[in-house]
Amino acid sequence: MEGLAPIDGWAIAAIISKAAGYGAALLAMGGPLFVLVFPSSSADVRQLARKVAVVAAMIGLAVLALRFGIRAARISGMGLPGAVDPMMLGFVWDSPLGAAAIWRGAGELLVVALLIRGIVGLSAGLIGALLIAVSYTFVGHSLGDPRWLLASLLTLHLLAVAFWIGALFPLRHAVGRPDGARLLHQFGNIASFTVALLIAVGLIFAWLMTGSLLNLLSTAYGWTLLAKLGVVSGLMALAALNKWRFVPALASGVPAAVPHLRRSIQVEAVAVLLILLATATLTSITTPPVNL
Amino acid sequence: MRQMTFALLVLAATTIGAFAHSKAEQTTPANEATVATVEAIEMRFDDPMRVTAITLTGPDGDVNIERETGMDAVTEFRALPPADLPDGAYTVDWRGLSSDGHPMQGTFGFTIAD
Repeated sequence: MEGLAPIDGWAIAAIISKAAGYGAALLAMGGPLFVLVFPSSSADVRQLARKVAVVAAMIGLAVLALRFGIRAARISGMGLPGAVDPMMLGFVWDSPLGAAAIWRGAGELLVVALLIRGIVGLSAGLIGALLIAVSYTFVGHSLGDPRWLLASLLTLHLLAVAFWIGALFPLRHAVGRPDGARLLHQFGNIASFTVALLIAVGLIFAWLMTGSLLNLLSTAYGWTLLAKLGVVSGLMALAALNKWRFVPALASGVPAAVPHLRRSIQVEAVAVLLILLATATLTSITTPPVNL
Repeated sequence: MRQMTFALLVLAATTIGAFAHSKAEQTTPANEATVATVEAIEMRFDDPMRVTAITLTGPDGDVNIERETGMDAVTEFRALPPADLPDGAYTVDWRGLSSDGHPMQGTFGFTIAD
């Protein structure tokens, strides 16, 4: 298997913390997007979207600090003492992760401003969401050529993912409430477009990183990507089931639709978790075939 | 669907050639080489690499090596071992930070024999 970095305890810690960082960042971005797209959803649903985003943003800030320590430990080769070594932390700060941390940290702080009611809070949250998305274009594989294309694809991909993930908690909350069916139906319609967009840009990005179908099967990057796509396909199937069966059933008042939808959204959340782990693995310990 | 598969296959066939280039670093002494003496330990990288840690382990344990290259990102890294390395098997372990921010690490080994 080509392009697989050595895996030790620190590498695993790096993967898990990166996945946690992804989850926090996406939930933080998703909240303001939800409030923007569904202004007429009930107040408590929007309130939940805000609350989830703010908590996620704060977790995101903590994870960001943790990741600095883990990366310093990894490059120092000294283990735990390396995590607090000023020189090693300085190198991480000087690396692209430092620039990304400034943008992501600022973005996550702006999302916390979502606590301010009205247009001010929402605007801050939306700017924050954009900053967080852009921060990911400063690190890793999107720095390759063609730089602007890769960066734009990644930003779009992240905003689309965030819209979906950020909606999961509010939607689950809305199931079984008076205007729940309308909201879920609306989400399904919008998601058909955003999910198509997210898959399209994801595939183009993957194509630019992989270069050929052969590379999918001969590299660690390819296999991890296939694993990710496998879970994504399952998630799509579940989303289709929700859109075409459970949501219409909910709208026509079938009582069993409520528990079905709730469970389905929970399974979606678990699938998302697996996808984030696969993505963190992909971006941490494997090398894209184009860079081999 | 069939058209798409065909298009993908064509793309696959035409792009393989572009990626023959290898990022793997070259070293002195070469990995798994047997040498009489070691004047310097060198590593070459395709992209600038900030080598943040390097250790040389020999038959008697860790050997102090003197970095000639500082902590800057370089494509050619050089460090000097002590003059009188005893015969035996040696391993170099290094850690670094690549220019795109990925933590990198590598290892190579050589044998000193007269």
